[in-house]
Formats: sequence, structure tokens, C-alpha cells
Amino acid sequence: MRTIFHLDLDAFFVSVERILDPTLKGKPVIVGGNPHGRGVVAACSYEARAYGLHSALPIRQAFKLCPDGIYLHGHYDEYVRFSHAVKNILSSYAPVIEQASIDEFYMDFTGCRKIYGSMFSFASKLQQEIKQKLSLPCSIGIGSNKTVAKIGSDCMKPMGITYIIPGMEKEFLSHMPVETIPGVGKVMLRELNNKGFYVIGDITKLSSYYWGSAYGKYGIDLWRKANGHGTEYLTIEREQKSISKETTFGADETSNEKVYEILFELTGKVCQTLRDEGFMASTINIKLRYSDFQTLIRSRTIKPTDDDKTVFENAKDLLMKAHTRRVGVRLIGVGVSKFSNFCEQEVLFEDDEVKRKKLFRAIDFLRRKYSYSIINFSR
Amino acid sequence: MPKYYIGTAGWSYKDWVPAFYPKSQSGNFNWLRFYANYFNCIEVNSSYYTYISPKTVKGWIEKVSDSDDFLFTMKLHQDFTHKKKFDEQKIRSVNYNLDMLSKAERLGGLLIQFPYSFSFNDASMDYIRRLKDIFENFSCFVEVRHSSWDKKEVYDFFKRSNITFCTIDQPQIGKAIQFEPIITNNAAYIRFHGRNTEAWTNSIKNFGKKQTYEEQSGRYKYLYTPGELVEIEQKIKTIQEKVEEIYVIMNNHPLGEAVANAFELIHLLEEKEKVDMPATIVKAFPRLEEIALDYFDPKLKLN
Repeated sequence: MRTIFHLDLDAFFVSVERILDPTLKGKPVIVGGNPHGRGVVAACSYEARAYGLHSALPIRQAFKLCPDGIYLHGHYDEYVRFSHAVKNILSSYAPVIEQASIDEFYMDFTGCRKIYGSMFSFASKLQQEIKQKLSLPCSIGIGSNKTVAKIGSDCMKPMGITYIIPGMEKEFLSHMPVETIPGVGKVMLRELNNKGFYVIGDITKLSSYYWGSAYGKYGIDLWRKANGHGTEYLTIEREQKSISKETTFGADETSNEKVYEILFELTGKVCQTLRDEGFMASTINIKLRYSDFQTLIRSRTIKPTDDDKTVFENAKDLLMKAHTRRVGVRLIGVGVSKFSNFCEQEVLFEDDEVKRKKLFRAIDFLRRKYSYSIINFSR
Repeated sequence: MPKYYIGTAGWSYKDWVPAFYPKSQSGNFNWLRFYANYFNCIEVNSSYYTYISPKTVKGWIEKVSDSDDFLFTMKLHQDFTHKKKFDEQKIRSVNYNLDMLSKAERLGGLLIQFPYSFSFNDASMDYIRRLKDIFENFSCFVEVRHSSWDKKEVYDFFKRSNITFCTIDQPQIGKAIQFEPIITNNAAYIRFHGRNTEAWTNSIKNFGKKQTYEEQSGRYKYLYTPGELVEIEQKIKTIQEKVEEIYVIMNNHPLGEAVANAFELIHLLEEKEKVDMPATIVKAFPRLEEIALDYFDPKLKLN
């Protein structure tokens, strides 16, 4: 039986904003930018949540619900610094640590009881240390796997500690709403509710055979989670799985030329990151969102590349084929995935490719030395 | 835990009124005495520009008489470090003041700060050795700003010569040495110049031109953010078991920002939940209210 901690920093961005400006304490604070703009809520304080606000809510809607809230653009660099500082503290105790996001950490304390004593008291000590040294509140879930630990950390926020006794996972989960399970989104929630599944215990009443037949691999995974099973081992170094950039237009865009121009710019940035990481990518994805929020994602697999030209040509083609409606465009994005490490040998005998490699090396050098915008491709 | 000496580079700045020194001051109000109420260390910077009269130094010693563990560190005159033109008389003058502070048990040591242009080579090493020989009776803290000094050979030389290799935090331009504490003897001397990259770049461009005080000091205008301070704290704590004394000097002096950051570092490094500080600085930097001891917000009304 393993002992996994999930530590989640409570309203992290807001907590950092309150360190920067203590007068924000006790007030409804929303991080996410201009309340009249088109962004979404990145984080909000518990005082703002009382108005019905939550992460990912469109900021305009948030403003309607909470017009007296304090809307901030946020200080991302500062969030990263505090996140590192938290990780440094955790690293001094945890033998294995996985950072799942800027404000979430999994730690494996299996076999550490003799060193740290009661896991509940130890979690409390960790929580206090982070609060005292960094003024950041956090919640901790302790469970026999990652899923249970994560659900645990979420159920007593803020500054909560939840210890799920090994063997009691299924009972612990049974009365919770189905959407508590990580991975159950809006669509799945509606689907489950329509069929009469409201709490996690409803899921476990049926066999894995049913869930497998109805929803395939996803269904079996859902059934496993509902029964309190989950991943028991941490990923120590999370590999980057994709690189992408997207942009929301200030006003819905009707000019194709303008859309392609932005796509070209986004592609340039994606390819630069790709080369900086020393990767070649073989899958190209585009994202297109119309003004009515219909969102399309299209992808294509090609020979591995890190060349702006190839990626742009493919992305443009995908976008042209996807863009069939005569409706304004709200957002476009481009991404690459399925990475392989750069291998110079393969291109030694292809003159043009060798030339382009040299060209990219020179561009990469200039951008590293000065800035990204020092040199750009023309379309 | 080592003994921390946390303070600022200089104390005589008009623009610290009213952010640190109060606006209305009585006739016998003295800035150094006020400063020493709150800090246990000061780096004397005026000694870089002038040869200070022993009478002045004697006055300083008297002014900090109420602060038991207060220390001065003296910055060596530019004739030694920048112009490299000095004679016996100048050496005597520096030595005299250092001696006086040392006998009064008020001397931390001598800061020998070289310019960015002073890069690593045999001649530079010889020059440092020569200065150390001249001031052999005192603790020497040597600050070099060029990254060419960042090598084991240099650290070994500093260790052999019992010289402290200063750790500095400065804008990362060109081959500027990075903030990375290096231990070469039983003391660490850490200086913070701010991270105002833009003003620092401009000041390099205008080097040698006549500038106003604001233009000159503009490059030090920088308030470290709470996140940066936490990063700094965690880095300094990695060396705290290896030394006996750690000097932390804030040189981001414009408008009292150095003072505010020094109080924050006392809170973080000395692990004091609350730090004694005057109401003036809390008013100028409201985020200090969280760590200020006995702070009373004058805006609050008592019923």
C-alpha cells in the first residue's frame, strides 16, 4: 500500500497577489485581466466564489455576477517564483515529488512513517511550514493513490487535510457527486446524470463490464476510479507532450488573410520553442473557434520537422479545410506534438534541408542573443 | 545558524525622508543613530569617494553606542580599486580609520569593490593579493563583477588568502557574474544592486558623462518583489551552515527601497515573525505591515 500526498495551493494566484498587496485580504479578488475583455477567470478568491465565480468562467460573466470584485491581470513571474519556493520546501522532505501544475504537487511518502511519524500530523507540519515561510495556504490529501489523494485535497479547502484510510477509498468516495472524479467534464456529467448516476456510489453498483461496453477504455477507467483505484506511482519528470500557441482576436475576425497572418506568427513561435527544445514534431494540430464558440480541432501527421515553412503550410491547409462556415473567427491556435529528438544525420545529403538547417541555426542564435522579434520570416 | 548582519549600503540619503527618516526632525535628530535602532550593520560608501577624517569616524562610533552588536564595513577608496593610484599616505589614512573601528569592536571588514571592467587574469590576481597584503589585519571582502572570475582557480586563491568572495545580485547584462553564493572563508558578504536592467544599460552608455544624482543613482532604483526575496532567502540558507557570519547589504537605495527590502530579509533570514521597524517605512511600503512589530495604522479610528 502506498502513501501518496497531493498538495494543492489554495487559490494560489490570489494568495500571491495578497502577498504583493495585503490590502486585498478578505476581498473578492479575480485574476484574469480586463473584466470587459474576452478572457476567462484564471483564479478567484473564496470571497469571489461566494458570488458563484470559479476558474475558467468567462470574465465578462464574472463581472456581471461580481461587479464590485477586484480584477487583476496577475503577476505570472511571481507565481512561478513562489511555486519554485514551495517545491524547494517539499523537496527537503519528499523522496519523490511530481509537480502536476504550477500549484499542485504529488509526493510519495511510502515507508516514511518511521521518519516522519503520523502522516496526518506530518501533513499538518508541512502545511504550517508553507504558511509560515511563504504565507501560502494549501490543502493536502493523503491516499493510497494519486486519484484518491487529489480528491482528498479538494474536499476540505482551504487549509484542509484529508486522510483517506487505506481500504476505505470506496466508502470515502461513494457519496460524492460523480463530477468529483478527475476527468469527468460537463459533457460526461450530463451523460451520467441522464442515466441516473449522480454519486460515485451509483457507478460502483454496476460492473466494469457495463462501463467497458458503454464507454470503452474511458468507462473502465471511470469505474476503477469510482472504486478508489488510481495511479500509485509518480511521474518524476513530466515530459512535455505538446507545444502550442493560440490567440483570441480582439474582435471576431472575418478576413481570411488576417487569420492566416496570425497563424503564421503563432507557427513561428511554436517552431522556435520546438528548436530550442531540440525536438522535431510529427503531428500538427490547429484549433479554430467561431464567434458562436463552435470549436474545431484538426490534426495531421507528417514526416518529423521543426521547419516553420512545413508546419505553416500544413497548418494553413488544415485551417482552410476546417474553416467552412461564413462566421467570424474568435480564436485560432496551432500546436505540434509527437516529438522525436533532432537527428542531424538524416538530412546530410539533402542540400536544401541542410541550407535551411543552417539558416535556422543562425536565426536561433540571433533570437537567443537579442530577442525573438529581432528577425522574422516573411510570408 | 550563523550571525546575520543585514543592512544597507550608506545611510545618508535625502530621499529616505519621509520613507524611513521622519519628515519632522528635532535639532539633535541623527540619521545614523536612528538607523542603528533597527539594523546591526551598515556599509560605509562615502569612504569610496573621500578619505574620511578620523573625527567623523569617532562620531559614528559614539552614535551607535546604544546598539550592542552594530558593525561598520568600509568600502575601499576608488584610488585603490578603480584608479589604481595610491601612496603610503592614502594607505595610512584608510588603515587609521579601520584600526579605530576595529579597536572599538565596530569593524566588520573592508569591502574592496572592483568595476565590471576588472576581469580575471594573472595581473588582476596579483593586484588583489597586493591589496590583501596591505590590509592584512582586516577581514577583506572582494567584489568582482565580471563572470571571468567565476572559476575554481579563483575560489582556491581566495580560500588560500582568506578573502571573502562577495556574492552579488545585479542586472544580468553581458558577462555580469551571476547570483550564486560561493564560500571561501568563514564569512559570506552578499550585496544587492537591484535588477533594473534598463537603467543599468543606460548608465553604461552614459559612463563618464556628467550626471545628476537622480541619473547616477537611477540604476539602483529597484524594489525586490516578495517572490524574488523568497528565492534569495532559500539560496542564502543553502550556505548558512558553512559560515559563521553572513553580511547582507542592500544597495538599491533610491527612495528607501533598500531599507524596505532589508527589513523583509531580516524577517525571512533571521526567521523573525515580526520585525521592529518605524511607522514611516510601513507607510511608504504597506506590504511591510504584515511583518512589522507593534505597527499601528494611523488611519484606524479608535472608538
